[in-house]
Amino acid sequence: MRITPETKLTVFYCQNCFKEDSRILEAQMGSEVALYPIACSGRLDPLFILRAMEQGSDAVCLFVCDEGMCRYFEGNRRASKRVAYTRTLLDEIGIGGDRAFVRFLTESEKAKPVKMIAEALANARKLGPSPLKSASAKRRKK
Amino acid sequence: MITATRKSLDEIKNMIRPYTRVLVAGCGSCVAECAAGGEKEVAQLVSALSMAFKIEGGGPSLTEVTVDRQCVNIFLDELEDPTRSHDAVLSLACGAGVQALAERHADRNIFPALDTQFLGQTKSPGLWLENCLGCGQCKLFYFGAICPLGRCAKQLFNGPCGGSQNGKCETDSEKPCAWQLIIDRLDGLGALNRLEEIYEPCDWSLKQGRGPRKIEREDQQS
Amino acid sequence: MKKESNLQKILKEGHFAVTAEAGPPRGCDPEIMYKKAGILKGYVDAVNVTDNQTAIVRMSSLAACSLVQQSGVEPILQMVVRDRNRIALQSDVLGAAALGITNMMCLSGDHQCFGNQPGAMGVFDLDSIQLIAAVKKMRDESKILGGDELTSAPQMFIGAAANPFADPLPFRVTRLAKKVKAGAGFIQTQCIYNLARFKEFMKMVTDQGLDRKVYILAGITPLKSAGMAKYMARKVAGMDIPEEIIRRMEGVPKADQPKEGISICLETIAALKKISGVSGIHIMAIEWEEAVPEIVSAAGLMNRGAGSV
Repeated sequence: MRITPETKLTVFYCQNCFKEDSRILEAQMGSEVALYPIACSGRLDPLFILRAMEQGSDAVCLFVCDEGMCRYFEGNRRASKRVAYTRTLLDEIGIGGDRAFVRFLTESEKAKPVKMIAEALANARKLGPSPLKSASAKRRKK
Repeated sequence: MITATRKSLDEIKNMIRPYTRVLVAGCGSCVAECAAGGEKEVAQLVSALSMAFKIEGGGPSLTEVTVDRQCVNIFLDELEDPTRSHDAVLSLACGAGVQALAERHADRNIFPALDTQFLGQTKSPGLWLENCLGCGQCKLFYFGAICPLGRCAKQLFNGPCGGSQNGKCETDSEKPCAWQLIIDRLDGLGALNRLEEIYEPCDWSLKQGRGPRKIEREDQQS
Repeated sequence: MKKESNLQKILKEGHFAVTAEAGPPRGCDPEIMYKKAGILKGYVDAVNVTDNQTAIVRMSSLAACSLVQQSGVEPILQMVVRDRNRIALQSDVLGAAALGITNMMCLSGDHQCFGNQPGAMGVFDLDSIQLIAAVKKMRDESKILGGDELTSAPQMFIGAAANPFADPLPFRVTRLAKKVKAGAGFIQTQCIYNLARFKEFMKMVTDQGLDRKVYILAGITPLKSAGMAKYMARKVAGMDIPEEIIRRMEGVPKADQPKEGISICLETIAALKKISGVSGIHIMAIEWEEAVPEIVSAAGLMNRGAGSV
């Protein structure tokens, strides 16, 4: 799977959040969503989010286990701090920090991946196309 | 090690905007340790700048490269050709590295992407603290290995000043008073009597007496 | 130039000394200093002229001292080590002596981050104790730091500060001893509101016999309002104002608060007079010089064998 200009939402998620195979989930969500499972949310690097935005995603969502529920103790907390840093960087870039967000999932939410991803997608739609897309569109018109 | 922090994206953009091809050069030593100028940070910065320029409607093309040490001349050989094939270099080294690179390229603009901060330690992941001023006359023996020049806001050799309260510095209630640390440590070592001494003023000629300092050792030369 | 300090003479003769403070203005009008000196004249033995206090740019302490002196009041030149290196500091000591200034206070100074020039470089080339030692060397050996001879030695009664309320308490006494060893002849303390802690401090001072080597003037600041008390307790570095003092100020209507502040001040002075080792008081009526004559008179300190120059 690749992120394309059609992608509205890129999802990074801890493998302990959703048990379903990412390909099955992707098939259910359609072309607007790109999914990337990671071994632990603590592995998330700000560069993942930057690259997703660069390649055409309108928003990035990170799903992590609920507060205190991380299998590796602090992965979720560290990841959310990195997202917070990346949000400031996205503000500096001019994309807007609100396009990257973290969702802490309760045990019952973890059982409903499609619902959770759909909610994040709705949020991404609300944010509209990334300023990077309108910039390319403008250039094409010229 | 030497610590640094990234300049704002706007400041960096303003420096490199006029150029077509810019080499973004990281340094794998101190500034990588403090997560400001290593390979990872170069990748993040290039990604961020590319997007920011795209939103603006265009900007220079950026090439990533990272060498082990920009402050050591032989490591800069690796940057020789890439520098020549670009219009300008955005260096993520400390001030020493930026200057060492610039010295080799009279015809290229070399820009700093970082604000060099201080000589310090990595206390814990994500926390760096200043603790040495490089005064050229280490007096740590007297002060229980806690430097009043590097860590007291007023650089007092005969402190603490009247602003020390509850073990904290008057300038910042979060910051420990270096003199409280010195007293506690010497107390623990049974050496409080060292503080009855009146310490002479620092000899600043050893730091800045004749401008920039130089260490020259023939036994180390080729 | 051999001119003796009046303050030193008074202390040597065993009189209870009273000093006050006059802060230079944030401008260049000399009348302000004349006026402040005029209010204090006849009530105090000498007046501290602050040196860019709280790191806010003001008329220079040396120039303001000269204006105070012209008004017939003996000045005490405050010198902080924050803004000038050892060349400038020693040069100013010579300049002060040439103008007939005979007292000075050697201080660290409030950190530059507190004032209106937070971007200034903090010099701190010498610390306050090293400055005391340097001035003593100039006075007693006619030499500057490094050993070069002076053509004439400045006569200076050297003062220093002590803060009995900063931490750690035992080391406060050690530091006072260092200041005495370096050459301080008199000490002015931080404002005293916490008498219990001050007594504890003075006990340690007298136990070490320091009161026989240096004159200690206890610091007093009349509170003008409950707001000021709260502000000082919270914001001023090294200040200790007990809750009960703040409550007492709050307990009276705003219009009566200045009077209450002066009452507290007078009670403190009465208590200080009884503490062994206290040679006088130093009244820091911040931007409220008019309060000083009232305090001095009401405290019964008018006929103590003192008088101004």
